[in-house]
Amino acid sequence: MRATRRAPGTLPWFASVPALVVAALFTIGPLVVVVAFSFMTRPPTGGGVVFRFTTDAYRSFLFTKDFTGQLRFNPTYLQVFATSAMQATVTTVVCLLLAFPLALWIATRSPRAQGLLVLAVTIPFWTNLLVRTYSWMLVLNENGLINRVSRAMGLGSHELLYTPLASQLGLIYTFLPFMVLPLYSSLSGFDFRLAEAAYDLGAHKLTVLRRVILPLARPGIVSGILLVFMPALGSYVQPVLLGGGKVLLIGNLVAAQFGDSRNWPFGAALSVIILAVLVAGLLVVRWWARRTGTTVSISL
Amino acid sequence: MNRPPRALDPRAFPGVASAAVFALVFLYLPIAVTTVYAFNGGEQALVWEGFSTRWFGYVLTNTAILDTAVTSLQVAAVSTVLAVAFALAADAMRRRGSALASGLLAAPLVIPEIVLAVATLAFIRMIGLTPGFTALVLAHTTFCIPFALMPVRSRLQALDGHVFEVAADLGATTWPMLRRVTLPLLTPGIVSGALLAFVISMDDFIISSFLSAAGSTTLPVYLFGLIRRGPSPSINVVAVLLLVLAVLVSTVTYLAPRRKRTSR
Repeated sequence: MRATRRAPGTLPWFASVPALVVAALFTIGPLVVVVAFSFMTRPPTGGGVVFRFTTDAYRSFLFTKDFTGQLRFNPTYLQVFATSAMQATVTTVVCLLLAFPLALWIATRSPRAQGLLVLAVTIPFWTNLLVRTYSWMLVLNENGLINRVSRAMGLGSHELLYTPLASQLGLIYTFLPFMVLPLYSSLSGFDFRLAEAAYDLGAHKLTVLRRVILPLARPGIVSGILLVFMPALGSYVQPVLLGGGKVLLIGNLVAAQFGDSRNWPFGAALSVIILAVLVAGLLVVRWWARRTGTTVSISL
Repeated sequence: MNRPPRALDPRAFPGVASAAVFALVFLYLPIAVTTVYAFNGGEQALVWEGFSTRWFGYVLTNTAILDTAVTSLQVAAVSTVLAVAFALAADAMRRRGSALASGLLAAPLVIPEIVLAVATLAFIRMIGLTPGFTALVLAHTTFCIPFALMPVRSRLQALDGHVFEVAADLGATTWPMLRRVTLPLLTPGIVSGALLAFVISMDDFIISSFLSAAGSTTLPVYLFGLIRRGPSPSINVVAVLLLVLAVLVSTVTYLAPRRKRTSR
């Protein structure tokens, strides 16, 4: 057999072509199609699109035509975007506040305990999204855990389920592991003798936290923010099941266009707007990473 | 400013332990409640009438639930095999085009699933398919590839490169080397990857709900319909069964590399 230049035991590069083609076709393909659909015409009846170029879908995001045919500014959809951005922001901030101590605490345990605690965080992560959301329906229900405790304490019942608060809580619960895991991986290799050295030099606990631990965790924080904020922005299940239709987020608006409303071009345009926000966010992160010389990798 | 006493534990920070325990309780309390109520014998989801496994019997003999579970299993099985095969092939690429590859792999993690779902639906229509089993398998395979690839990659990175050089010196050529050296060494990674891909596929709701058709409804899609009507004892049971799947898969993938290390 003639000598090859590639490392022993590996396949030639073209063996990866099928995987790349499938991944590229079914990841990039749909994104290309969705952009194309957003510039097409809505058929008179039913879903789908008619292949005629128009920017109507984007116009209807900001304007409505009144009965005289004049365009009027209509902030309804912008408000839905603002509500979604607000819920995603609150989710990200609360997840960060909950995840940081947890990740730091796990990172300071013995290696064996660290493994088990990471497993404890991964189990909810791998649990079905519907199951996790449904569990909150049981907790927040009229006869659920919180209302029972509240009644037993003489505080009476509260309407918790099918409120914006419930939807918000569900989002925080769903995305918490996505924040803990990247934070932990940025903290796990830390040599805590460095913290000891800082104490010997007269630093306070909080100073060490702020000047040593926090900078160390920064790549994990950025990665966690991306992994929480972006998917939370397009959340769909929690507003429906826990918000009970009282909360309308962009995710639900998009789903409705491809469902009952049968306005595919508008749904596609909304998706493109979400993707634009995503790309803008990634560009900001990249700019920040370049400026500060931090390596940010989006992984768990 | 006072200098902290030397005996101070450098690993302890004020309030961190209690905040961490709070976060863990927050993570486990809801699923614990669901687990307890799955063993409720009563007619209502939240009115406790004593321990019973009768609803497990009901769910495991309910044809509507079982049919959708079978569809889910079929989709997951086919997608897992395809995703693992693709992940193994993709690994040959290690150096070439890895920026593009990692971009593709990270995409499903940050793009909101609803956007991927409607985009895939539009794409499926565009290439002339209709929602149904084939569409489900194609979409599931795609979003399973990153999860199948992750453990295989980390296993490869952990392997000693000399193994391959020794095998090559002993005259192993590409195919025997793959079959006799690479694949056996990668097995723990492949098993973990397959399990993760399987659970990801079994759990998917949002993308599947846009690609399911009558006769090819997956379990999560059916479950969502049930949940919308409010809590019920049978949902509690289905939830616990899916929870058991998550616990099994997480534990096996956690133990798999560990056992290998101790036996060496």
